[in-house]
Amino acid sequence: MNIRVGFLLIPITMALGQESNSTLVNPFNSEADIARGEQTFQSQCASCHGRDGRGGNAGPDLSTGTFKRTSSDEGLFQIINKGLPGTVMPAFPLNPGPAWQVVAYIRSLSIGRRNQGGAGNAAKGEKVFAAQKCAACHDASAPDLDGIGTRRTVAEIRESIMNPQADVPSQWWRFKAKTRDGRSLAGLRLNEDTYSIQYRDGGGNLRSVLRSQLASFEMDRTSPMPSTKDKLSATEIDDLLAYLVARGVR
Amino acid sequence: MKQVLLLVVYACAACGQVNYTRLLEAAREPQNWLTYNGGYASHHYSGLSQINAGNVKRLGIDWVFQARSLEKFETTPLVVDGVMYLTEAPNNVIALDPTNGRLFWKYEHKLPDVTYPCCGKVNRGVAILDGVIFHGTHDAKLLALDAKTGRKKWEVQVFDYKQGYSLTHAPLVLKDRVIVGVAGGELGIRGFIAAYDAKTGKELWRFKVIPEPGEPGNETWGGDSWKHGGGSIWVTGSYDPELNLTYWGTGNPGPDWNPTARPGDNLYTDSVVALDADTGKLKWHFQFTPHDGWDWDAVQVPVLADVTVRGRLRKTMLWANRNGFFYTLDRATGEFLSGKEFVKQTWASGLDDRGRPLKIPGKEPNRQGSQVWPGVQGGTNWYAPSFSPRTGLFYVTAWDDYHGTYFAWDQAYEQGKWFAGGGVKAPTPPTNREAILTRGKEHGYAAVRALDAATGNRVWDYPMRDMSESGLLTTASDLLFSGNREGHFFALDAKTGKLLWSKYLGGQVIASPITFSVNGKQYVSVAAGTSLFTFTLGQLAGN
Repeated sequence: MNIRVGFLLIPITMALGQESNSTLVNPFNSEADIARGEQTFQSQCASCHGRDGRGGNAGPDLSTGTFKRTSSDEGLFQIINKGLPGTVMPAFPLNPGPAWQVVAYIRSLSIGRRNQGGAGNAAKGEKVFAAQKCAACHDASAPDLDGIGTRRTVAEIRESIMNPQADVPSQWWRFKAKTRDGRSLAGLRLNEDTYSIQYRDGGGNLRSVLRSQLASFEMDRTSPMPSTKDKLSATEIDDLLAYLVARGVR
Repeated sequence: MKQVLLLVVYACAACGQVNYTRLLEAAREPQNWLTYNGGYASHHYSGLSQINAGNVKRLGIDWVFQARSLEKFETTPLVVDGVMYLTEAPNNVIALDPTNGRLFWKYEHKLPDVTYPCCGKVNRGVAILDGVIFHGTHDAKLLALDAKTGRKKWEVQVFDYKQGYSLTHAPLVLKDRVIVGVAGGELGIRGFIAAYDAKTGKELWRFKVIPEPGEPGNETWGGDSWKHGGGSIWVTGSYDPELNLTYWGTGNPGPDWNPTARPGDNLYTDSVVALDADTGKLKWHFQFTPHDGWDWDAVQVPVLADVTVRGRLRKTMLWANRNGFFYTLDRATGEFLSGKEFVKQTWASGLDDRGRPLKIPGKEPNRQGSQVWPGVQGGTNWYAPSFSPRTGLFYVTAWDDYHGTYFAWDQAYEQGKWFAGGGVKAPTPPTNREAILTRGKEHGYAAVRALDAATGNRVWDYPMRDMSESGLLTTASDLLFSGNREGHFFALDAKTGKLLWSKYLGGQVIASPITFSVNGKQYVSVAAGTSLFTFTLGQLAGN
């Protein structure tokens, strides 16, 4: 391979949405750059991604440190400059400096980065996790806790542990139904449309049912998770939080 | 009568070109779909009736055209004497055989690396006149292509695209001219509508949506706010040949969500403007949402119908607006005849006797967020409504029980940069990002809604579980075709709203269906996902 071909390959792989092995490192990464990046973000990005970057109406949450279309700073830089075909994300042809500063600001939003530290002991927390048999559900059909520390703040995870009913996301709602011919159905509602419901039943089977076959349908918006409020001490909860935040993606 | 009609059809088909006379009399050749909105009155209604309530259950997919583009597929095709013309995002024009989907030619417009679409590099269609196809582009050009070869005959730069201007809608042709408007309201443009000589591309007139100092209406803009006042044109207008008026809906004022930056009514944004087709002069205007802070463009197709209002037959215009109200206007004068909310709205206590909204204080966007129904996509949006002269009903895709929380902040204008002055948070996404729906019903739903054209009273309703960006089509056999975000395409009884047929297409319908006939066989076409599906009756063998 000659040098010219090598140079050409980088833009081609980027155009294909793939990652080149060596990506550019953000040259604008100081605290001052992050502050300027925030200004540009508030002016150009917040309409869709929200002022806090956690998602708005049209744009996804940018605060988790993981992104659907890229994992590199260079990828973020390219998306800002070129937009994303097939989405409503337009190109923002900023000068290189301001674009890199926006990348630095987006990285600074990362929940995982903010979650580092804390009072608890992760090793002890892992023992709490085992003793409480959390894995019995969470390694099966309950929400996957791998990398939870990048998706939720410590305060949000604490709230979920102490008061599981406070905010149950709609993808975890369960239902009960009776068919017109007298059968009982129940399970985790996976998807819905005007004519049908897709669900996973208690045996783990994936099923569809037509609404026209149902005599009754009742949504249960509660969580089956027990509260740990009266079961665990404040220290144990801190330890458990430290373990969950530190728990990576296996 | 039937023989006369057939003779006329035969004579026109033989002449081989769509001329202005044929466009005026488009209803006499229902086998074709000659203009984006299904005729100058924009009824999205077809005189075809071979597919009817009795046989629609046998409707099946005949062929599929797969776009080589991931953008939202918003095209509404034309069908002209056995040829279909459609667009593929961003700016490709395709001629194909509507009986089998095979391509005759494809024109690919080269765009600069960076253009300035607000919400996807989409395109909605083309126009045809005297053997020429007209197409607007994201780099703000108007193209004229030879309908037989796809070869470019001329192009004009409508405006400098680097200032945020673009064209996304199908042009409107009438007489000897082609009319387009510019988009880019989220980038601080000043909208306009312009007419060009169909033969040469020479500009004939230009109507400025945002009046300049010294022009009537400029006084409705505080300070210099008119300079980046928005007023985009997103969808194709209508035309009344008797009145010689062409009607266009105009977009929101800029910056979108910070109305305090632009004191006044902000004419002629969020309005319908009635323009003299020869001169472009404003005959009248009606502003639906004065001093808008919610991004509620009047981005709807003006539907022209003659309707009896309070005992008197009137030349009316029917308009279900993004702001949640349905309006009946006199289209000769712009007089407000009646208005009524057609979805839940919380920003106005009603309309006064001239149709001006009575705004409830404290609903405008602010720093902390202001929760308002309807949400930013509005009670309806750009996808076509329909009017059936048989039922006398106005049909619209409505978003109900749908809200948003609107934020405002200060923002300075910079060329080519986002200029929205705020943002919106809502649990209901503006387009379908996820293929899975688990959202609660309290976050809104879409319905096909049939309204009495004179009063706005609801006659029937077909609610869906998710939202819908599908336009509507009605036929002489009293069928109504539409689709939705879930990926369904379906037929209802236009008289009752009863579901007669549906087919799951696996991708969001974000376009308006059409129907046409070739060699005596009726077809229905609609874009869904990244494909155009064409249906016809009967058991389908391989081909």
